[in-house]
Amino acid sequence: MSGTLLVTVNVHGIGPEAASTPEAQLFGRDAHGRYTYRIGLARLLDYMEQIGIKATFFWPAVEAQRMPALLERCLKTGHEVASHGNAFEDHMTLSEAHEAELIERAHELLTRMCGSAPVGFRAPTGTLSFASIPILHRLGYLYDSSFLDDDAPNLLSEDGGPGMVELPFSEGLVDATHFRRRVTQDRAEAHLAQELDGLLGYSGYACLSIHPRADLGLARSSRLKILDRLVTRARDLGAEPTLGRDAAFACRPILKPTRLGVRQTATDFQ
Amino acid sequence: MNSEKVPRWPNGARAVVTVTIHVDGPAVEVGRNLTPLGINSRGRYAIRRGVYRYLDMLERHGIPATFFCCGYDAEHWPGIVKDIWTAGHEVAAHGYQHEGFDLGAREPELLEKTHRILANLTGEEPVGWCSPSGRKSELTLPTLRRLGYRYDTSEKDEDLPYLLDDRFAILPNNTVSLDDFPLYLTGHALPSEAGDNFIEEFDSIVDGDGYVHFIVHPKGAGGSGSPARAAQVDRFLAHAKRTPGVAFMTCRDLADYCLAHPATWLNPRSSTGEQP
Repeated sequence: MSGTLLVTVNVHGIGPEAASTPEAQLFGRDAHGRYTYRIGLARLLDYMEQIGIKATFFWPAVEAQRMPALLERCLKTGHEVASHGNAFEDHMTLSEAHEAELIERAHELLTRMCGSAPVGFRAPTGTLSFASIPILHRLGYLYDSSFLDDDAPNLLSEDGGPGMVELPFSEGLVDATHFRRRVTQDRAEAHLAQELDGLLGYSGYACLSIHPRADLGLARSSRLKILDRLVTRARDLGAEPTLGRDAAFACRPILKPTRLGVRQTATDFQ
Repeated sequence: MNSEKVPRWPNGARAVVTVTIHVDGPAVEVGRNLTPLGINSRGRYAIRRGVYRYLDMLERHGIPATFFCCGYDAEHWPGIVKDIWTAGHEVAAHGYQHEGFDLGAREPELLEKTHRILANLTGEEPVGWCSPSGRKSELTLPTLRRLGYRYDTSEKDEDLPYLLDDRFAILPNNTVSLDDFPLYLTGHALPSEAGDNFIEEFDSIVDGDGYVHFIVHPKGAGGSGSPARAAQVDRFLAHAKRTPGVAFMTCRDLADYCLAHPATWLNPRSSTGEQP
């Protein structure tokens, strides 16, 4: 398989903050998330159309209900819509029954809104329980993209998802990792670029994760150009932007089962 | 106090480097009551990719290292510890679940538990310990000594090894500037900046006291597991290797060397200086 760049968008509006505080009580510095609704996501979609890249958008149910027109636009322009859970619940702390109910609720909502079932999942707050992968497997998911334990796709057989693919992401390739610390955008870009070079040089796979917010994300007009430069950089290194479902589908037959804690090599993926 | 005094290193070396790898697998997350999946799979990165990446790098450079392992990781993924041991590196203790060492009466029990797990895997009792959090209690050293440990790497009060007595050595660890974790987590250094920092420290130490205690975490985020960050460790080791007169030792070998020369190492600056 030639090089793969996953461009993934975590569709976060004010959902993360509203998970713990009623939204009516969120203002000003606690309400950066509303930027996504007013301008952030539309601007990101415009820009992606302009530079001609398709991405995988992880939509939480609560944000899909909030922005149905942008979800529809996302689909119509050829992006992938994948599940990002219900409403930013911490999956690690849920009972198995409650977790299954939330994942199913999001699954049904996206299926209804999109006309087809999502095949990819990313944990809404990052956390998973030991039941998460088996629940996704039962619902027919092809891949998960919640782990950051590898440099390349691997199989989730050992974690209760036989036949499912993990498309891991890297913390250093998440815009929010850097912007959360209020570094300059040049510095954030340098971080992203160094990690990108390292990963593509090693495994030929990299997963870039961005947010349509102004504070933690790339949705400011001056920051958007970083996306274009990173994609160009990846192309120069032989990696094409690929949707999650296409990457998972392509690599599933060639991945060999691995065991955690046992030596493997980059060529297991390549 | 005479900071100019430079003690004698083995075989007339100009400086000694101890490379220490803090394995920090899922023990870290489990010890914090986190399910070690999803975003809490940083430790899984270490046992899936990181440790082997460093075993390969160390083999390529021909450098022996000390791997500080948590008992929990060794218990669940024994193959990792066996592979470290088989490659000729030292296996030393690093808590059971990377505890903060505010454990009260449970502390001796957990130190013994990890000690037993590591000893059973390698067939040789570990003799070195590094506090996972940098902390100790009044129970720590007495327990370690009772179990036969010969060194601790948790102090930060010297640039040189020193002895507590003729049976126990302190190898101070430089968490200020030769530890990847704080540089990345708190300092938010670029990989290339962290690499530059390591090399600047090394060059200065080699021209001075001569003890380079280097700390690497092979985990995903926060450590030097990722290809970009591992490449900087690689660059640092290559720089150290081509510096004339530099010896690479495991912590155990350095502690034993110091213990064999108590007159020098009980207080390595004593001939002209103040007692601490």
